Amino acid sequence: MADKYTVRVTGQDVDLTVGEDQSVLDAALRANQWLPHSCTQGTCGTCKLKVLCGEVDHRDSPEYTLTTEERDSGLVLACRAAPRSDLVVEPLGAVDDGVPRHPLRDHEGTVVVLDDIAAATRRLVVELDEAMQFNAGQYAELLIPGTTLARQYSMANPPSETRRLEFHIKLTEGGAATERWIFRSLSVGDRISLRGPLGQFHLVDKTDGPVILIGGGTGLAPLKSIVQHALAEDLAPELYVYHGGRRKVDLYDVEFFLELETRHDHVHYRPVLSEQDWDGATGMVTDAVVADFASCKGMSAFLCGPPAMVAAAVKALKRRRMAPRMISKEEFTVAPPVPDVDAAAS
Amino acid sequence: MTITPDFVNDITMEQLEADPYPFYERLRKEAPVAFVPALGMHLVSTRELCEQIARDDENWPAVISAAGGRTFGPAALLNTNGEEHRELRDMVEPHLQPSAVDKYIDNLVRPFARERIAAFENDGHVDIVAAYCEPVSVRALGDLLGLDDVSTDKLREWFHKLSVSFTNAAVDENGEFANPEGFRPGDEAKAEIIAHVDPKIDKWSTQPDHTAISHWLHDGMPEGQTRSRDVIYPNLYVFLLGAMQEPGHAMATTLAGLFSRPEQLERVIDDPELIPRAAAEGMRWVAPIWSAAVKRAARDVTVGGVDLPEGSIVMLTYGSANQDEHAYDAPSQYDLDRPVRPTMTFGGGKHACAGTYFANAVVRIGLEELFEAIPNLERDTDHEVNFWGWGFRGPKQLFVKWEV
Repeated sequence: MADKYTVRVTGQDVDLTVGEDQSVLDAALRANQWLPHSCTQGTCGTCKLKVLCGEVDHRDSPEYTLTTEERDSGLVLACRAAPRSDLVVEPLGAVDDGVPRHPLRDHEGTVVVLDDIAAATRRLVVELDEAMQFNAGQYAELLIPGTTLARQYSMANPPSETRRLEFHIKLTEGGAATERWIFRSLSVGDRISLRGPLGQFHLVDKTDGPVILIGGGTGLAPLKSIVQHALAEDLAPELYVYHGGRRKVDLYDVEFFLELETRHDHVHYRPVLSEQDWDGATGMVTDAVVADFASCKGMSAFLCGPPAMVAAAVKALKRRRMAPRMISKEEFTVAPPVPDVDAAAS
Repeated sequence: MTITPDFVNDITMEQLEADPYPFYERLRKEAPVAFVPALGMHLVSTRELCEQIARDDENWPAVISAAGGRTFGPAALLNTNGEEHRELRDMVEPHLQPSAVDKYIDNLVRPFARERIAAFENDGHVDIVAAYCEPVSVRALGDLLGLDDVSTDKLREWFHKLSVSFTNAAVDENGEFANPEGFRPGDEAKAEIIAHVDPKIDKWSTQPDHTAISHWLHDGMPEGQTRSRDVIYPNLYVFLLGAMQEPGHAMATTLAGLFSRPEQLERVIDDPELIPRAAAEGMRWVAPIWSAAVKRAARDVTVGGVDLPEGSIVMLTYGSANQDEHAYDAPSQYDLDRPVRPTMTFGGGKHACAGTYFANAVVRIGLEELFEAIPNLERDTDHEVNFWGWGFRGPKQLFVKWEV
């Protein structure tokens, strides 16, 4: 059996027990001890901790996220580092209190829906054996069968639906989870393993000002969860949903959002196409936002999509004078390269 | 007797005020302790020597420069030592302790900062020094002191006039002030200050309140007695000049520095937690109190290889120490990411700035409010950034613009 170590996080009362093959973040979230984090893949750096005392194995922490200089100064990535002794660690960022936290858990479930909904895009619905509590906007990691690999997908269902998780999945060429599994062998009725919830992209508190949600491609998924949650709990005075795609075939859930718009005066849905003329808005989704708003002062935003879209959206919103602290971002991160899943599994 | 190089003999106040950096860069290399005839005293320009002298109050008691003494009068914090200095620090420090500052600073600074921003935020362009940095700086301290009935523009006028006199340091070959007329603005300001504050002191003497000047009058005094106006005024001038002017300088300097690194500006706007670091680097880059601390040799000493007899007067140039090539890589560049090293910005030793925490908080909140309201702020490149000053230094004006 693997050795276990005790990890103390400064400012938190409880000592964590962390296995030698377990990341500090994984152990903390399972114990419902919140630590700041975002991608859990070692690419974003949100989960950096300072080790005040003790030894760690950085494992596959990438050099571009955690430089040698940072390692020498005692920094680690909580989502990668495993203990090699008892530790005392200190989070670098603020541990934002006041937000409800839900412990990370392993879950099993059954695939009940697997539909093509747009070009190279599938909707996967999993009926969980046990409920998963999460905040609207958070994500889960699907475990790829026969491997030790996991891939991140945001829940698109509202958090009130704790047993039935909806994911939107875009085919990635050569992707271990998509091309080699979800778009190839996965079928309705299959059993599936996942863990969640993860991430700190979420809408929890009531907002005074309007909320702008901008999604690129399957970046719509967490926004769909957030919009449904905001409507159920009456969290926002206005909700503006922008969905960007290249062509009409890239859009999905159009009917769903049009119906929300019809039923709720304060929901506004704006699909935008960048590479096809049609009777709707055209151009970059961020340019549509700039054109629609003279000022975004006092508003907040949720952005989810490819890094370039998120960066352009931040720039557009700042141009319209939205305060940066009011902007929540979730970027698609590129999975670490996997040479060959079948080989890795064998 | 050391031979004074020509470049030191020839330097003028005008050259120093326009751009002191080339002269001091040469001083650090060739003559880190140099007698400058135009100033009638020795200048100390390296970080190591400035730090050494600032911390050694035994051998280097603080004095005030001749022009500073002419402006502030005797018994100011700057030129007292030992027990007398300790008593004055005890007078001013309670309001400036971090725990005290934390209690009042948000209410003191934020509402006024927001009011100022609201006045220009739809204009799309402004001189941020006159419209924001200076007003926020003077209003914060003015209200704290008990001068809430003095207009922001009047407070700005007072510190500008005191500043001109304080740094009117040029002397002639006989060691006399070369420009006695230069003290007239300071004298005018002081006359106005006394005319305004005297009746207030009368009132505070019998009806103390929460303001700093009221506390200065009463705290630590025997029952029924108040501190003499001869003690209050010189120290009030110190505050009205240094503490009113410098947070404004620091704010504007930090903005100018960030404008020189647009990608760093973006990062700071996106993550306000970086503001304290950005401001610390701004104040390292161009120290607001550039050249004002003066010390006197208590005995014959050798410093930086130069023999100085007892009574020698040296001026520590923190603006130069902060750009010392031995302490900082590429010191003339603003760089948010440079390794954090202590600077001489707030001085050192027993005379280290009493308002360090207060000033940093004013600068931080001022920038937080500005970036929150105008995250698309950029430099208006139709105007140059014109830094000015030798004793105190910062942008005279800083034109900014944003899309509205």
